[in-house]
Amino acid sequence: MDAIEVFGLKRIYRARMGVFGRKVKEVLAVDGIDFDVAQGELFGLLGPNGAGKTTTVKMLATLLTPTAGEACVLGHDLVGEPGQIRQRIGFVFGGERGLYWRLSGHDNLVYFANLYHVPPEVQKRRIPYLLDLVGLSGRGDEKIEGYSRGMKQRLHIARALLHEPDLLFLDEPTMGLDPIGARELRHTIRNLQAEKKTILLTTHYMFEADALCQRIAVINQGKIVALDTPTELKHHVRDLSVVEVQVFGIPAEAVERVRALDGVDMVSVENRDQKQALLIQSGDGAAVVAPVVNTLEGLGLRVGNVVVREPTLEDAYVRLVGGEP
Amino acid sequence: MRRLRVVWTVFYLYLKQISVDWFVIFTVIVQPLIVALLALYMLRDTEGFQAIFVIVGSAMTGLWSGTLFFSSFNIEFERWTGNLENIVGSPTHLATVIVGKTLANTTMSLSSMVLGYSLAALLFNFQLTIAYPFLFFISLLLTVLALISLGLVIAPLMATNPGATVWANALEFPVYIVGGFLFPVLLLPIWTTPISYALSPYWAARALHATSSGGVPLSDVLLSWVMLIVFSVAYWFISAWLFSVLLRRAREEATLGMQ
Repeated sequence: MDAIEVFGLKRIYRARMGVFGRKVKEVLAVDGIDFDVAQGELFGLLGPNGAGKTTTVKMLATLLTPTAGEACVLGHDLVGEPGQIRQRIGFVFGGERGLYWRLSGHDNLVYFANLYHVPPEVQKRRIPYLLDLVGLSGRGDEKIEGYSRGMKQRLHIARALLHEPDLLFLDEPTMGLDPIGARELRHTIRNLQAEKKTILLTTHYMFEADALCQRIAVINQGKIVALDTPTELKHHVRDLSVVEVQVFGIPAEAVERVRALDGVDMVSVENRDQKQALLIQSGDGAAVVAPVVNTLEGLGLRVGNVVVREPTLEDAYVRLVGGEP
Repeated sequence: MRRLRVVWTVFYLYLKQISVDWFVIFTVIVQPLIVALLALYMLRDTEGFQAIFVIVGSAMTGLWSGTLFFSSFNIEFERWTGNLENIVGSPTHLATVIVGKTLANTTMSLSSMVLGYSLAALLFNFQLTIAYPFLFFISLLLTVLALISLGLVIAPLMATNPGATVWANALEFPVYIVGGFLFPVLLLPIWTTPISYALSPYWAARALHATSSGGVPLSDVLLSWVMLIVFSVAYWFISAWLFSVLLRRAREEATLGMQ
């Protein structure tokens, strides 16, 4: 039995508009998706902001009612048996909310351990263990209001693990963390993976999905546009090469001119400090270098380094979602 | 047993948070003390003045204000802090958490009664004798039960209809009056009597005043107790229905995590 089985899951949000709220606007957030996650698998949902990742996680965590479709979580029906699911899952949503700031980290864990009916004798062992696991041992007695964002995020992970859940939903857990905090959190996630926990991770960081996930579903505008291992997803673009052109300020007109060149499949722009990188996907990268550079210089732009390289998962992702990462 | 442990944990940890919150301290301790002081000064030379009536009445104002305001915002607070999803997504029912929180609010409010009593006895040397201490204690327990039940109705009602929170402000002082907290409702126009009878705080004040001031037949106290129990049971059923509506609508309308 798979840990998660999803069939045609759909969610429409309805927002009331106008002074009297009579006008209803419908937004299709998740559009009939199907996927499954095996026991012990670290599965990624990768997509841009607003793609439907968080909505999917909230439905599977029993916090949102699906508009249509079915899903089984750990063998229980999502709509009919939310109580049985809640005892066996843990979830973490990105951000600093979801903790009691006037309480210490330890008190927060005691609070949630009781909500999950963890016996007091187990709490005495489990809470210090989890504080240690997420790198907060020695800081548990401090109030949350003094914690950094990374510490709060790691405490969220500890909270989600209090009742030893079989399945963990991590919704953009490294969002907003500094590089060191994010690296530590990824290390914690790897440790959980080693403990054979089933994890559903959502992220829009390509390298994170590549480094952690065994399989990835790329979701865009509510639909799953690809589902495979990171290696296989990269193979989707193996016939391509990527030309990275360093530029110093690039107008939209220049991007359109490059996009119109023969042999150019896709163009995106990435900001890198004071510079930009023009990323051009092409069947023959070497062949398009000269026309691209000539076009840019013809528009009076200053061009820096030019590199032709193999495609990464990010390039595959850009191609799948058809826009900027 | 597990549910009791949750209630105790929520009670203890929530009390820890609100005991340093100045808004809570003002509403349930300072404001009732001001009411008590003003009433003691205003009424002390009137015929038949009983300081214990004022102390109990002012404590009722604190209990009512605490129930009204904090129950109105009990669920909203969890939503604002991002904890509502964490609670609803856990195996514990949201109502169990709200019971613990309401109990903590009521405990804070009761402290105003102790402070008011001490202030009147030590600072003003008023004779403060509770006529029937045991019956007063039972009345107090039933009052707490009735106010927690009422809080369990107010909390989901306000969370389901956020616009209704404006009523929380409008309802505070009128209930002081029609509840007979600081003077008998017999002084009010006769048409207000049915309103008083329909409010559990009125029966709570009536039971507490009767058992602390004395001079009232036991049958009157028993009637107040029965009414408090009837109201508590009725509120409990209404609250169960309101919570089920709230949770169903919140999952359908995606309002659990709304900021």
